[in-house]
Formats: sequence, structure tokens, C-alpha cells
Amino acid sequence: MAGLLTAAPPDADTAPAPKRKRKLTDRQEKSAVRAFRATPVTYGTLLIVAAILSTPLVFVGSIALSSDATVNANTFTIIPREFHWENFTRVFGTELPMGTFLLNSVLISLFSVVGQVLSSGLVGYAFARLRAPGKNAIFLVVIATMMIPTQITMIPQFILFRDLGWVNTYLPLIVPNFFSNAFNVFLVRQFVSRLPSQLDEAAMMDGLGFFGIYRRIMFPMLRPVLIAIGIFTLTHTWGDFMGPLIYLNDESKMPLALGVQYITSTSAAMQAPPWNLVMVGSILLAVPMIVVYYIGQKYLYEMDISGGSAGVK
Amino acid sequence: MATPTTTPTPLKKPGSSKRRRREALAFYLFISPWIIGFLVFLLGPMIASVYYSLTDWDSFTPPKWVGLDNYTKLLTDDPAFWKALWNTFYYAAISVPLGLILGLWLANLLNKQVRARKLFRTLIYLPTLVPLVATAMIFKMVLAPSGPVNDFLGVFGIDGPSWLIDGPWVKPALILMSVWGAGSATVLLLAAMKGIPRELYEAAEVDGAGATRQFWSITLPHLTPIIFFNLIMGLIGAFQVFSQVYILTPKSNRGAYDAAQTMVPLLFDQAFGFYHMGYASAISWLLFAVILVFTALAFRTARRWVFYETEVK
Repeated sequence: MAGLLTAAPPDADTAPAPKRKRKLTDRQEKSAVRAFRATPVTYGTLLIVAAILSTPLVFVGSIALSSDATVNANTFTIIPREFHWENFTRVFGTELPMGTFLLNSVLISLFSVVGQVLSSGLVGYAFARLRAPGKNAIFLVVIATMMIPTQITMIPQFILFRDLGWVNTYLPLIVPNFFSNAFNVFLVRQFVSRLPSQLDEAAMMDGLGFFGIYRRIMFPMLRPVLIAIGIFTLTHTWGDFMGPLIYLNDESKMPLALGVQYITSTSAAMQAPPWNLVMVGSILLAVPMIVVYYIGQKYLYEMDISGGSAGVK
Repeated sequence: MATPTTTPTPLKKPGSSKRRRREALAFYLFISPWIIGFLVFLLGPMIASVYYSLTDWDSFTPPKWVGLDNYTKLLTDDPAFWKALWNTFYYAAISVPLGLILGLWLANLLNKQVRARKLFRTLIYLPTLVPLVATAMIFKMVLAPSGPVNDFLGVFGIDGPSWLIDGPWVKPALILMSVWGAGSATVLLLAAMKGIPRELYEAAEVDGAGATRQFWSITLPHLTPIIFFNLIMGLIGAFQVFSQVYILTPKSNRGAYDAAQTMVPLLFDQAFGFYHMGYASAISWLLFAVILVFTALAFRTARRWVFYETEVK
């Protein structure tokens, strides 16, 4: 299961426009309909659920702010009692190579996103607009490949990359992204199909070639879908654990997702892992995803994939 | 899904055939990243994987042809495989429906006229934004013998188990962690709930149907397509569970007692732990077969309970 970034939660301010003009009467009607009435039980249940769901996150914050003594004595509390903010700078010092982990994550994710955006845009556009014999048959194959679990290709790909001498480099994690992903191709194709074809025709009249049309006209128009693809790819590579686990051996090359786990598994036998610093790492791992989601959600709406196809990845 | 027709129009002016040839050439050039990726990273590896699965191979010395031996051994003479298969079933059979029911319940609560709805929605969705590795690290702490879950149970005088070490409690622990991410299903379900015509509820109200009746007779039937989608994606994801198992359970617990060993970690251990590449390849094909069977089963039963509106929204 890859980063399952589903369509964003529907917010009031982004709800479908047509319903909006009824807003005033809506409120009155809603309270009349029993299914939409919020009772004290509703609030009570929501509060309990929200409390249970946020407890682990609060606990993470508390551990991240704990002193080493607390870690060794294993006396954490859910609500933080001590505030060792220096833990957040310590991980970038000489104690832990968290800065290196972070940089590795950024590098791998950045190149993967660039690869997916460049290749999926090009391929998706061609499937939507260009005419060629055999196109539909090929597109069927593209769709069919989405059903093959990655585990099938895991071992042969490892052998391939090992024979190429790419083990313990970033290449096995980055290079495949430059060859487009079937789901992303599908998204781009759907998006382009909805754009008016007069655009391309006018550009062709002006003497642009196919690649010129794509680069000058289409690429800028694909912004929402390409940003969404970027977000999907980023979520996937940023949190990916199995890929780096297979291909990277050196601690200095590990991304954050693997590095954080690596620290806990390599502590000396009788010594507790530095849980406070590990949790700082977990926070570093989670925060960018939360930020990306909040910035990116409007593009996910613009892409208009909420109708069932979202979440496949 | 409208497929733009690609049949060349014979009415075009003569001389356009040259243009058409150029267009076809451009098409193949544009999709070449996908074609290369397909051949190198999918089709080639798939063929290789079939071959490997019929050999005994440590990946260093030449492979030794053994025919169907790997498959026979897996199915008739490897208790670890059956145990992993059973554990995966157990995990999928409980975590997927539980996640759906919770998601549905939460979505229904959030669909009411609740104040601070945005805050509740965010709190419920937040766990799904945290990368899996970070979540696993968090749960390692939350479920520790003296962690908050057992502290909480202690309030009621219950002596909590060592979740991640005691055989019978490892799977419930994994399921608990999957439930924490029920928010991703909630979001899709909530989006779908918003799309149900309000008039239906008003009509039901007039007919005297209460909130519960309205949920069962209006909300639920309208959501069946999205429930089905979540079911399929959830099943596929559950059968491929890896990072949680790998991080949460000590290797001895996965291997020796087999309490939490599931299919993909088993495959991983065989391939990259023991270098049984042929055996691991056979596991990957059996995993594919299992996923296919279950998805097919889900599709077969779907006809009975999935309700499609004639109007596609």
C-alpha cells in the first residue's frame, strides 16, 4: 500500500457552487431533517473519538520533549511535563545524522516528483490528444498494469539494479519515476480530454509542432493535475520504507523514513533507543506531509477526481 | 470514462496522410517513457519472476531449475506460509470491515449540523497524513507494556498485555493501528454523503422516518458504490501490509512464533534475509493469486448489494 492520499475532505467553502445559493433556507431545512440534527450524543461521541485519535500525537510531542533521563527510566507521560526543546536541534548535531536523513529524503522525493511530473504529463497528453494506430490497445495495457502488485516485480528489479551496480545508490528509488506511472497517466489523460481541442488546433495553425504545443500550451494548463501528481508522488516517496530498506545499506544514505526506524533497531542491546530523538524524527517525517496537504488540497479539488478514482495509488 | 475515438477520418484532404504519420510518430515518441518503463520495469521483471519461481536460486550462483517444486513446497510442506496466509486473512478480515464501519459511523456524525465541524474533521483526518513509518514508531510507544494504552486499561483494573510481544495480542495491535487511520475512508464517505439529494431526506421526514431509519434507507444504499471501492482498495492494501508488521514486531516474533508474520514480510524475509529468490518469487505469485481471488469474490457479490444510480454524479 502506497501513500494513500485520498481526495481532500469536503469543506464548506469548497462545496459545489450550485447548492450554495440555498444556504439560508438550507439551515432551517437541515435542522428540520432528523438525520442532520446534532444531539448532545453526537457531540459527546465526536469529542471522545477526537480525543482518542489525537492521544498518540500528543504522546509523540510529550516524548519528543522529554529528557534523556526520562527516556532511560521509561517514565513518559501523555501530557508533557518537561520541555526540552533542544531535542529538536540535537538531532541535527553530532548525536544523530537526522539532518543527513532529511536531506536524503528531500533529494529522493524531489527527483521522483520531477520524474513523475515530466513523464506522466507527456504520456498522458499523448493518450488524450494524438492519433496513432494501436493507441486504444496500448491504453488498455496501461490500465491493466495498475492491477499487478509491486511484489511481483520486487525481486527481478532488485536483481536488475544490483547487476547495474545501483545498489546502495539513490538510482533504484528515483529512476523508475522517470518512466511514468499508469495511474498518473490515466489522471492526465482524463484531465486533457476535458480541455477544448481548439487550443491545440489554434497553436498548430500558428506553426507549432506537437512538442511545442505540449510545452507552450498544454504543460501550463495541466498545472492542477501535475501538482496533484506531484503531491501523490511526494507522499509516496517521502513515506516509502520498503524501497530504501531493500536498496540502501549505508546509514549516511538513508532517507528519514528508514533512518528513524534504523536508529531504534541498532541501539546497543541493553540500552533503550533514544525515544525522544526518534519521536522528533517522526515529527519531522509527519509535518511536511501535513503542510503539503494543507497547501495542496485546493489543487486536488481543481483536479476534480473526487468521484471514486481518487485514492488509487 | 469517455474514450475519444481514434479512427482516422477518411474525409480528410489528401496530403494529410503525411501529417497523420507525423502525428503517430509523435505519439510513440511521447509515450516512449511509458513503453520503456513497461518493458524494463514491469514486463521483463514479470517474465523473470515466473522463471525465478521455477528455480532454486540464491541470486549469486546460477539458478537451478526445479519446476513446480517451490509451489508444491509452499502449499504442502511449509507451515510458515500457511501461518502467514492465515495471519494476513485474519488481519484483512477484521481491519477492513472495522475500518469501513468506523469510517461510515464517523462520516455520518460529521455530516450532521455540528459546530466546529472543521476541527473535528481535521482531527479525524490527521492520523492518515502521518507516514506509516512514523505511525508505526508511535504505536510502538503507545502499545509498550507501560505505555498509555495499558495505563488506560489499568484505570479499570485491567492488566494490559505486552501487545507486541505476546503472540495472541500482536494481530489485535496491528488492527488497532489500522483503525487509527480510519479517517481516509471517512473522507471519501463524507464526500459521497454530501452528494445525496437532500429532498430524499425531506420526503422521508414527511413520511415520519426517524434519523436511524433515514440512515439505513437513504444514506447507506447511496453509499454502496463508494463502500465497494473502499472495500476493494482496503483488501488489496491489507494483503500487502508490510511496514507496520516489519517495524512493530520483533523479527523473532514474526519468524519463530509466527504470530504476526504476514505474506509480504514473509516474502521479504525469504528474499532479502535468506536469499531464497526462487522461493520468494513463488510466494509473490501466490500472493497475486490470493488477491485476485478475493477481488473477484468481492466483485461477484457486489451485484447483490451495490446500488448504482442511473444518473452518474
